[in-house]
Amino acid sequence: MSSILMEAAIGSFNSVKQIAIIVIPIMIGLEILKDIGILDKLTQLFSPLVKIYGMKKEAGFPLVIGIVIGLSYGAGIIFQAAEEDKLSRRDLYLLTYFLVAAHAVFEDTAVFMALGVNGILLFVVRVTVAAFFTYLASRWIKVDDLDFEKMR
Amino acid sequence: MEKVNPAFSFDTIKRGFRSGLNITWKLAKILVPVYFIVTILKYTPIINWISAAFAPLMRVFGLPGEAAIVLVMGNVVNLYAAIGAMASLDLSIKEISILAIMLSFCHSLIVETTLAKKIGLSALKVISVRVGLAVVSGIAFNLFL
Repeated sequence: MSSILMEAAIGSFNSVKQIAIIVIPIMIGLEILKDIGILDKLTQLFSPLVKIYGMKKEAGFPLVIGIVIGLSYGAGIIFQAAEEDKLSRRDLYLLTYFLVAAHAVFEDTAVFMALGVNGILLFVVRVTVAAFFTYLASRWIKVDDLDFEKMR
Repeated sequence: MEKVNPAFSFDTIKRGFRSGLNITWKLAKILVPVYFIVTILKYTPIINWISAAFAPLMRVFGLPGEAAIVLVMGNVVNLYAAIGAMASLDLSIKEISILAIMLSFCHSLIVETTLAKKIGLSALKVISVRVGLAVVSGIAFNLFL
């Protein structure tokens, strides 16, 4: 029994160590990117996509925040954007569909990379699939289907 | 004339370091106990029962039966618990990659569905979308990786 516990202790310590070695540099890199204004650039990059979905262009920023930072913090920004920029109910739905499929992508990808997964593949597949799925949803959800005027 | 005016500073690096450390700590708190539980399970007959019970389902994704533990941990608890289980089981890189893409689309269902409901989406729709994406991507990764 003690050898089993020893195996678990060593194994879990090594896993945590390996994750720290990968995750900490990636999070430092992310902070640097944020400080040199990557979030604004990403928002610009996403603006054609947001247009294809038929969303207001103000939806771009909460989308990028959710993709980069995550749902729990992103949700606050989404609610705020919904109030300030008067996002329609349809915009909110599409935003959430995109984000439930792809959020906190840097953190999640970093952690999986520590286990040996190809991070770029994981990242690209996740964001592409989320974008395509949201596109399908944007065709599906017609503006008239939702009483979005009530949200204003 | 060269203007070197970096928008980031030592403070940026400190913030990144802290955030990385914070993730590692949050992860360790969950990973370590899960790792212990799964390692102990590996030395009991229980792991064989689980493995046998889920083998037919997991075969669809090219995964061994015990990988079901990873998917359950990831969806009921969170990604960190899934990673604890993944690290303690003996899985190949391909199997880990399949689990990673499935879990990327579908994890922490209890907490995150509550969030989606707050925004006004139906829980059933959100869960079916996420499980659907996980199943399709899992099968695709098994075929093409």
